[in-house]
Amino acid sequence: MATFLNVSSVTNAMRGQRLLESNGIRAIVSRALEPDGTNGCGYSIRVENRDVDRAEKLIQSIGIPIRGKRAEAGEV
Amino acid sequence: MIYLDNAATTWPKPPQVMQALNEAMRRYGANPGRGGHSMGLAASQAVYQCRETAARMFHLDDPSGVIFTLNCTMSLNMVLKGILRNGGRVVVSSLEHNAVMRPLNALSDGEPVYDVARVVEGDDDATVENFRRCIRPSTRAIVCTHASNVFGVRLPITRLGALAAERGLLFVVDAAQTAGVFPIDMEADQIHFLCLAGHKGLYGPMGTGMLLCRGSYSLPPFIEGGTGSRSLELRQPNDLPERLESGTPNTPGICALRAGMELVMKTGVDTIAQREMRQITYLYDFLKTCDGIELYTQRPSLPISAPVLSLNIRNVPSERTAELLNRQGIAVRAGLHCAPSAHRHYGTLPGGTVRLAPSLHTTGQEIDRTCRTLWQLSKKLG
Repeated sequence: MATFLNVSSVTNAMRGQRLLESNGIRAIVSRALEPDGTNGCGYSIRVENRDVDRAEKLIQSIGIPIRGKRAEAGEV
Repeated sequence: MIYLDNAATTWPKPPQVMQALNEAMRRYGANPGRGGHSMGLAASQAVYQCRETAARMFHLDDPSGVIFTLNCTMSLNMVLKGILRNGGRVVVSSLEHNAVMRPLNALSDGEPVYDVARVVEGDDDATVENFRRCIRPSTRAIVCTHASNVFGVRLPITRLGALAAERGLLFVVDAAQTAGVFPIDMEADQIHFLCLAGHKGLYGPMGTGMLLCRGSYSLPPFIEGGTGSRSLELRQPNDLPERLESGTPNTPGICALRAGMELVMKTGVDTIAQREMRQITYLYDFLKTCDGIELYTQRPSLPISAPVLSLNIRNVPSERTAELLNRQGIAVRAGLHCAPSAHRHYGTLPGGTVRLAPSLHTTGQEIDRTCRTLWQLSKKLG
């Protein structure tokens, strides 16, 4: 199972992705399916559930705010 | 044609650059940072990779600080109009391009918002001292070219960065003429804003430029609009690069610019500098022996010069010399080179000079032929 960490922009998503991958965490960038309702468009970084806590800390350590989290739903 | 107008824009562009441009048109045709479909994300990755390449090349920690612009002029406008929006002054050198002087003139309301520090060729101590003397309580920044686009004279940016840091000022460098020719380290040189042309020594296409932002100073948006982020908010997002980039970017140009930067790094900036300076020194030494040729600087050498040379044939207007060279298949730029300040400094107003600038692709034979042609013209006309 995986979790999507929402960030505000594609640049932040890619910057976060690079950082996670350099720390051995598999990360995939995608469009945020449920962007923060107060702010509109955004992007997500998908990580495995086992990596979520570490991923959040790493992303926040470089000043990227996480604007929400969403558990991955089953495939339709 | 022998193309020696590389200080205006480099030509020819390397095959890798043209290939990257073509590939981007075919593979990254979607709008980056907008959609979530595969091609949109691939385009976003391609754009981000260029930010990473630029950050690596110029020693900037965070690729988010790499802002894509149309050209170096736009980058300089963004910085100058941002840092002086609430008043204050800047110190500039006596060799600045109009990309610096015209925005400053536009910001001046009756009284100039800038002080001019005279550059002393070959004497960095004197140059730095002149900058120091121009600093006033209202000074916000030191803004200077890394090297004159007309005379190739280099400014001691490491020392000027240290002076700015010592006085708590921002440090802004116009590296239009030097990026890709000399190593530039934003961290070591304490540069807050580095303004770059993508289409000169970085070998990208025309219409590409960059503004690299280091540190916490927050420039205001130059234009507002869509960023693909926080779309419900009418206020421009505060994050970089979105704060300073609105609207659809030039993805093909950005991909090609990245290819150019990769080529420069692979070739080696030092290798490029040595090669081009050898050619400029050869030209200088040869032309120095020609009676009818006027040269304006000391003998160019790597620590103090960039590979740009200005000259005139005595008593011949620079535009006329350029026209005669063009008839011989040699492309150069004459006139004022959008830098009347530099011409004023060297006493070459109003007629200007003939400027020669090689590139990575210029050959020794081309330099030889240029020497011979100038010698013949000077004998005939000078």
